[in-house]
Amino acid sequence: MVHQYRSNGYNIVLDVDSGSVHVVDDLVYDIIERVKQDPACPDETVLSEYNGEYPQAEVREALEEVRYLQQHGQLFAQDIYQGAVLDFRKRQTVVKALCLHIAHDCNLACEYCFAEEGEYHGRRALMSYEVGKKALDFLVASSGNRRNLEVDFFGGEPLMNFQVVKDLVAYGRQLEKEADKHFRFTITTNGVLLNDEVMEFCNREMDNVVMSLDGRKDVHNRMRPFRNGKGSYDLIVPKFQKFAAQRKALGKQYYIRGTFTHYNLDFAQDVLHFADLGFDQLSMEPVVAPADAPYAIRPEDIPVICEQYDILAREMLKREKEGRGFTFFHFMIDLSGGPCVYKRLSGCGSGTEYLAVTPWGDLYPCHQFVGNEDFLLGNVDEGIRRTDLVDTFKCCNVYSRKECTKCFARYYCSGGCAANSYNFHGRIDDVYEIGCELERKRVESAIMIKAALADAGGAD
Amino acid sequence: MKHIKTLNTRSLQESMKKGGCGECQTSCQSACKTSCTVGNQTCEQKK
Repeated sequence: MVHQYRSNGYNIVLDVDSGSVHVVDDLVYDIIERVKQDPACPDETVLSEYNGEYPQAEVREALEEVRYLQQHGQLFAQDIYQGAVLDFRKRQTVVKALCLHIAHDCNLACEYCFAEEGEYHGRRALMSYEVGKKALDFLVASSGNRRNLEVDFFGGEPLMNFQVVKDLVAYGRQLEKEADKHFRFTITTNGVLLNDEVMEFCNREMDNVVMSLDGRKDVHNRMRPFRNGKGSYDLIVPKFQKFAAQRKALGKQYYIRGTFTHYNLDFAQDVLHFADLGFDQLSMEPVVAPADAPYAIRPEDIPVICEQYDILAREMLKREKEGRGFTFFHFMIDLSGGPCVYKRLSGCGSGTEYLAVTPWGDLYPCHQFVGNEDFLLGNVDEGIRRTDLVDTFKCCNVYSRKECTKCFARYYCSGGCAANSYNFHGRIDDVYEIGCELERKRVESAIMIKAALADAGGAD
Repeated sequence: MKHIKTLNTRSLQESMKKGGCGECQTSCQSACKTSCTVGNQTCEQKK
């Protein structure tokens, strides 16, 4: 499959199945469009069709370049992976990542929270050290030969149970030595309880810190108030600025991560607001919400959102040139060192490699399924009981969703989010159409940015 | 090439031969948590 598009003055050709990305001139762009209809058509036929529009020698030269790429597997490459997926489905999977719901409680009352103010359709609870220990033991025991293990402290608000976070990190460091594993700890926080002690600990122990902030003050406060209705922006922003500056100085990863909704469709301004506050590792996600929620993204919002991605991409390039660039999670794309095709085919690993653990030790396929008893997989005492469900998740890949076979972005989103699919269609192997539209736009924007940076001599 | 500039160096088809070690980061453990973004991750072998 070949996907071609024009963006910000660049003609971009994505050869989907080889992963090759080409920036081409107008003539080649036209020729590829023609050859795409019949890749085996004789050169003379193609040349005759361009008679008069361009000098014949130039058309011949351009066509030779197209054929060269074709012969070297960089254009009109075939999808040779489907057989590999069948083998891949038979593979023995191991667990390599846990999302620990360290606190099903929160000191904010965010309107869109899929955890329903931290409680996940259930009761308020904090994870005990004993349950957390069993979860880490389960992870090590289920991880086979995999050395790198990931543990995310999530909630609710994990800092409401900070002592257990600290104790579990200490236990993990002990386990690392005993089992020859390497833990990468991460934490996602709303910032309310951030203080110097927490920052110092996280700077030492956390590979990544995700700080939740939605953007401009009014936007943030509307969706992320305290339980008394007061906005949280003024309290958390100075703390996030201090924390981010420390991590930046230490060369440690962090993300300022926002959620945009129907209420702030001009979300590019919110991302730029992050940058103006001095943050430089940014993420902004569309809200996940029931279709009838007033803040939900609607199909008619898609063109507006796509335009926002264009605005953001152009502004990012401008700021990069001015020496005040920043990264935006959804525009990050690694064309030379990106994931292998197995990873791209097999998806996020929810329900197989990645599990969520509730405060009382129940296991779910991911944080978004927590609270839905139909997806209860087992617990940290007995391990996985619902192996049938694990097998269902194992079979989720780009070929199990028929829409993906027609989509150029399939190796970038890997078939999309199973939870989004379930929420909108009642099954995990379908697609969430709005999410797909936005993902396609983000992939196009990310590649355009690469093209522009290459143009300026700064790409990898 | 005069008319074409190719941006990437890693072929997906080549990655089939050596890939699949599984040491890479789980996608939802990064900054997303609500969508599936795999293409922006880095291969652990290429670090």
